[in-house]
Amino acid sequence: MQAFPKLSEAWEFGINLGKHDETLQSKDEALMLKINNLSVVVNNGEATILSGFNLDVPAGEVHAIMGPNGAGKSTLSYVLTGRDGYDVTEGSVTYRDENLLDMEPEERAVAGLFLSFQYPLEIPGVPTLTFLRTALNAQLRARGQEELSAPDFMKRARSVAKELRIKPDMLKRPLNVGFSGGEKKRMEIFQMLLLEPAFIVMDETDSGLDIDALRVVADGVNALRSPERGMLIITHYQRLLDYIVPNKVHVLAGGKIAVSGDADFARTLEADGYDTYAA
Amino acid sequence: MIHMQPDAVISHFPHKRMEAWKWTDLRMSVSEEHMGLTRAVTPRLTLPDGVSCSPGNRHHGSSGVMPTLAAGFAPVCWNIRVPTGLNVQGPLRIDNLSGGHACMFIRVDKGASLDIEEYHQGPDRRFSNMDLQVHLAEGSRLRRVVVQNDPGNAVRVATACIAAEKHSILEQYMLSFGGALSRLETRLYSEGEGIEATMNGAYLLDGRRHTDMTGHVEIAGSHCTVRQSVKGVVTDKSRGVFQGKFHVKQAAQHTDARMRHDALMLSDTTEVRARPELEIYADDVACAHGNTIGALDENVLFYMRQRGIPQARSRSMLTEAFVAEAFDDLDDAASKQSLLTRVQEWLA
Ligand SMILES: Nc1ncnc2c1ncn2[C@@H]1O[C@H](COP(=O)(O)OP(=O)(O)OP(=O)(O)O)[C@@H](O)[C@H]1O
Ligand SMILES: [Mg+2]
Repeated sequence: MQAFPKLSEAWEFGINLGKHDETLQSKDEALMLKINNLSVVVNNGEATILSGFNLDVPAGEVHAIMGPNGAGKSTLSYVLTGRDGYDVTEGSVTYRDENLLDMEPEERAVAGLFLSFQYPLEIPGVPTLTFLRTALNAQLRARGQEELSAPDFMKRARSVAKELRIKPDMLKRPLNVGFSGGEKKRMEIFQMLLLEPAFIVMDETDSGLDIDALRVVADGVNALRSPERGMLIITHYQRLLDYIVPNKVHVLAGGKIAVSGDADFARTLEADGYDTYAA
Repeated sequence: MIHMQPDAVISHFPHKRMEAWKWTDLRMSVSEEHMGLTRAVTPRLTLPDGVSCSPGNRHHGSSGVMPTLAAGFAPVCWNIRVPTGLNVQGPLRIDNLSGGHACMFIRVDKGASLDIEEYHQGPDRRFSNMDLQVHLAEGSRLRRVVVQNDPGNAVRVATACIAAEKHSILEQYMLSFGGALSRLETRLYSEGEGIEATMNGAYLLDGRRHTDMTGHVEIAGSHCTVRQSVKGVVTDKSRGVFQGKFHVKQAAQHTDARMRHDALMLSDTTEVRARPELEIYADDVACAHGNTIGALDENVLFYMRQRGIPQARSRSMLTEAFVAEAFDDLDDAASKQSLLTRVQEWLA
């Protein structure tokens, strides 16, 4: 784990990781996410994006997904989080022994699934902190945990913001409205650190980040690495994987995982390109 | 005083073949069963210190058939006066405006300042018709906060005619939840230079409710600023109407006037009609109008749900934020909060 010392203090406010852990270490400790023979169509069945897709992510592991533009990486992230318009025609997704595909998007969030969006949305008129407090408390309530009081939440939010070098001013503005591309990405990580999800999907969070921000973000992600958490990191660049070293690297091409390797494999890919695997 | 049978009164009402009422057919919406068609109602006024009220005659202005009928049926016009230079503390509260015709005249003298809170709400099956005339003297200020919330079978017309002298300020915020038919009309006559007017509002409608917010602004003096933003939220089979007109006369150079109407349709069985109009005879002005009608952004909703906020809550948060913009500039915290609370209650 890389250094992110002050942040870990922040975890002690309010959120009860202990309770979280109980549910995390349920029946099947080894496999957190299991995707089996998945087929996904979009546009009311007009286009098949994923087919015969298989992927297992054990708890405690970080898997990277790379692959050419349009391969279906974001599609995968949306299927996992339950976005409308992405229809599963075959296969299954099991998350901590539950059928993920049966759950509403907000139920998946409550179960600990978090997506850092490739293109974060703007929420007009809703201040960032209001939004996040609502989200955090909605999750806590749904899990039967105690909600965070306004002052406790503020303390925590300020502390996390400081670590991510987010100006307090920004937290008063409507979420993402008028934020720069990099600021939006940083805000995704801010939300992630506040919500402490059990399973994280990051869709090109590194794109648009400057070098310093990339470091800060990677430190934040690494601070969340734990034996109970799983992560799926979608990226085009080796650079991020230098900071967040994955257990496995997969190439998504032709609707499925075309090839997998270890952390070094990403380097080979960067040198050789996808063509060899995408055929 | 005039004497007429209810059916005769109704036959005088404006209807959809009249341009200004084409989306709000008053005549069709009223029946003889509506109580209040031929009688006057005495508004209940809570007067703050320094504000006087006496029964008197109506000042004659050409403000249309409904105000004329109100004047005809109401035996007196309540004359309210704020003396020169007085900065009135606390609001003038006006309620009990249901089930009849009412006629009021408010004069805010030179340099004086007044806040009004109007509550237009009442029992079932009432017909209500208010005629409010306002005179803002030089350098005076009026803030008018209007809440309208009637039963689904009540019909209401409320017309305010405001004449503003130079350097006066009007701040108007309306919140309407409709009725069988509600027409809230504001006519502003900017007669001097440097007048500042804000005319914002929001309507939230469900069932078969209907609200019509109509504004007519005539600008005759130079350097006037007008801001109008009306937000609409409609669901079920409700109907929202917005009509706005800025008439900028030749002498009204350096007018800065902006009009917006934005409506959110929460179901596809609703109807929204909007007519924003500019009529400009001065050449050095900045005038604009905008009108949008749309639905909540599904992508934004998904994003919120991904963060764990349940769907219904996501929808109400976005809707509230959309409506709240109309009250952003209201600088009385208590008043603003009370409007927002009503919005939240409607959304809950
Ligand atoms: N709603 C949709 N309707 C039609 N086609 C879609 C839809 N959503 C995605 N697609 C198509 O599915 C394919 C996969 O898109 P996706 O966004 O998942 O790619 P990606 O791997 O994330 O690409 P990138 O690296 O550019 O982000 C693309 O060809 C895209 O055009
Ligand atoms: Mg993508």
